[in-house]
Amino acid sequence: MKRISFFLSLVLSAMPALRAAEAAAPAPAPAARAAFVMHFDGDWQVASGLPDKVLLISLQGLANRHAPQLYVVHPKNYQWEITEPLYEFYERKHHVHFTEIKSADAALTQFKSAAKGYVVWDKAVGPSLNVAFTISGLEDAVVVSEDLIPLVEQHGLEKIDDLRGRYTGQTDAQIYKDAYRRYWARCNKDEIMMMGGHRGAVMMPGMADWGVREKMFFHDLAANPERPEELAQEKKQLSELNPGATVFGWHPYGKDTEEQHTTLLSTYGLKMEGLHNLPNLSFNCQFTFTPGFKFTNNSHVALDAKLEAKDKVYLSFVQSDSIGIGVWTKPGRGQLPFAWQVTMNWTKFSPAALEYFHESATPNDYFIGGLSGPGYMYPNHIPADKFPLLMKQANDLMAQLDEHVLEIMDNSAADGNLGNADLTKETVDRYYAAFPKVIGFINGYGPARTRDLRGTQPMISYEYYIDPRRPREEVAADLEEMIALNTKRPYFLLVHVRESNDVNSLIGIVKQLTGPTEVVPLDVFLKLAASKKTYTTRYQDPADPKHFKGF
Amino acid sequence: MKRTLLKLLLGLALLPLAALAADPPINGRWRMDPTRSTALDGWSTADLVITTYGTKIGFVYDMTWHATKATLSQAVDTAQATAVTNFFRIDQRHMAVYARPTKAAQVTATWLDGGRTLRVEAQVPLEISQGNTTMRLYQEYRLLEGGNELVLIELHHTRSRPLVYRFTKVPAEAAKN
Repeated sequence: MKRISFFLSLVLSAMPALRAAEAAAPAPAPAARAAFVMHFDGDWQVASGLPDKVLLISLQGLANRHAPQLYVVHPKNYQWEITEPLYEFYERKHHVHFTEIKSADAALTQFKSAAKGYVVWDKAVGPSLNVAFTISGLEDAVVVSEDLIPLVEQHGLEKIDDLRGRYTGQTDAQIYKDAYRRYWARCNKDEIMMMGGHRGAVMMPGMADWGVREKMFFHDLAANPERPEELAQEKKQLSELNPGATVFGWHPYGKDTEEQHTTLLSTYGLKMEGLHNLPNLSFNCQFTFTPGFKFTNNSHVALDAKLEAKDKVYLSFVQSDSIGIGVWTKPGRGQLPFAWQVTMNWTKFSPAALEYFHESATPNDYFIGGLSGPGYMYPNHIPADKFPLLMKQANDLMAQLDEHVLEIMDNSAADGNLGNADLTKETVDRYYAAFPKVIGFINGYGPARTRDLRGTQPMISYEYYIDPRRPREEVAADLEEMIALNTKRPYFLLVHVRESNDVNSLIGIVKQLTGPTEVVPLDVFLKLAASKKTYTTRYQDPADPKHFKGF
Repeated sequence: MKRTLLKLLLGLALLPLAALAADPPINGRWRMDPTRSTALDGWSTADLVITTYGTKIGFVYDMTWHATKATLSQAVDTAQATAVTNFFRIDQRHMAVYARPTKAAQVTATWLDGGRTLRVEAQVPLEISQGNTTMRLYQEYRLLEGGNELVLIELHHTRSRPLVYRFTKVPAEAAKN
């Protein structure tokens, strides 16, 4: 043991020199490799475009199980806008030479050896698709609807299972109880796929490749007390996952709410990573950062700096929702200081995407950690004994990403992006204990009223949320009203910019504001907020209204 | 506020038929037309039910936000200033501005223009990030020509742009449904 320590100390003492040498010498380029790409259209209708995509996504999960072979580019209006920029990034930085595949037939020709057969889902029973995806991962089967059976059989694949009729007339709870009985024991217990989101005539299982690759259990059970059988089954599943497991995907639209689902998994200390349509993780997870790459945030102030706020209004803009579905590709980025909440777990399963964002960042783009921890969680509900380990993971990820501000969100009592998004004092205490080195914390999604200042670390909630559909002149009037209501100076006006707003329109809004206002980067904003506390200290009050009262 | 409304509704129930025959035209259910109104934020739809009785005027707002439904009621009095707890206005709910549930707004109301316009003035207690404050609020409920349209114009001492909400009367039979 001592010898190992001695050796380690030698290596560590040499590290700065090694780093300097690394910086001086050009980093070796990654070896070139070949892969295939398909371009999807935007048709996810069960009756038309979905069956082909289901086949291809399941095939992608199998083809990418041991090497990154198949990547999918989605149209520009797909919720995840980065598939094309990331495709170009792989070509440019990882020297991936892509060959295009234009049809399911051609994809099967190329990758049929990755599959041992096929499983048929029942288009009349939506949840059967999730059961089929589970079987796909466990049995190396591509997933087909009835009309695609001839195609896969032409390629020599044989039927492994057929779900047509098996679940006709059954409730979702019955279907997943049956799937649990048949498959759960063999599924991955570190990861589970909540393949919810769109339901009915349109389904969008863009993340299924990842679940197939990782042999996850797929379901779309509701975390809704009004659906007690589904809730009970989901609780059973969550309770049997390994500690620290991750729930991928997204809650099922129309059966429950994001708030209900995130509350439920948080009570088990589990992390959420969405959305259900996040594509290509089976490909992305197999690339590391390019040699020599190191995250360097665009900090605007030293970590130990002390700033003095003047008698004016300070605004700061933040975009959460993961940068991949946000404002990043919209016009005007870089013209205003903007903070971007990074999905920190992408360091594990989508490093190239993070490197792409950092590489394309302007000096005005500042990255922050979130959401609430090492994944999307509601901290008021994280068990006390699980909190320190989860936040240790978050701290480690933030250090790797050179991030020094943590964004927190707890909508467990909120009504969508409205209502009670506040943290209890106990939760706030835990964050201050777990993150002694951050510049500060921000909280909320919609507006919230949790605020604190301890030492030099402020905790500031969003004062305003910009709905992308709100007329810009009304947004300007709203901000002016916030400024008029909060008469003390300095006034710290933190603004959450909802995905799909564009930066150019924000520039127009800022120009309409009267009086001494200044838009500052978030790290500067928090340093200024630490210098003069004109805001009250407040936590969630038990008397505050709660839209969802919990399980 | 609930008690006041209850008294108001009880009073209405006891009204003689003759009084109902002279139902003021502002009474009834009014439905907001969002396309002709200041953009809502944090609300999807709004219905306003106005009921007058003597010097008292009752307001019931039926609001929706996606699947959420909220009914909020309050009453004002043209004969005297009224203390109204949880004073409701069609607020922009994406602003960190909160009603103070334990503190009443001071509200006055006046009929103008021969009873076609109701002016409401209120001092509304609010919680903001810098503590507590009061918003000075001015409203006019204007009945337009023909009696089928109602415009609510609202001014805040903290906002340069007026808020303008246009309502159309819901026929009595439809309003029962």
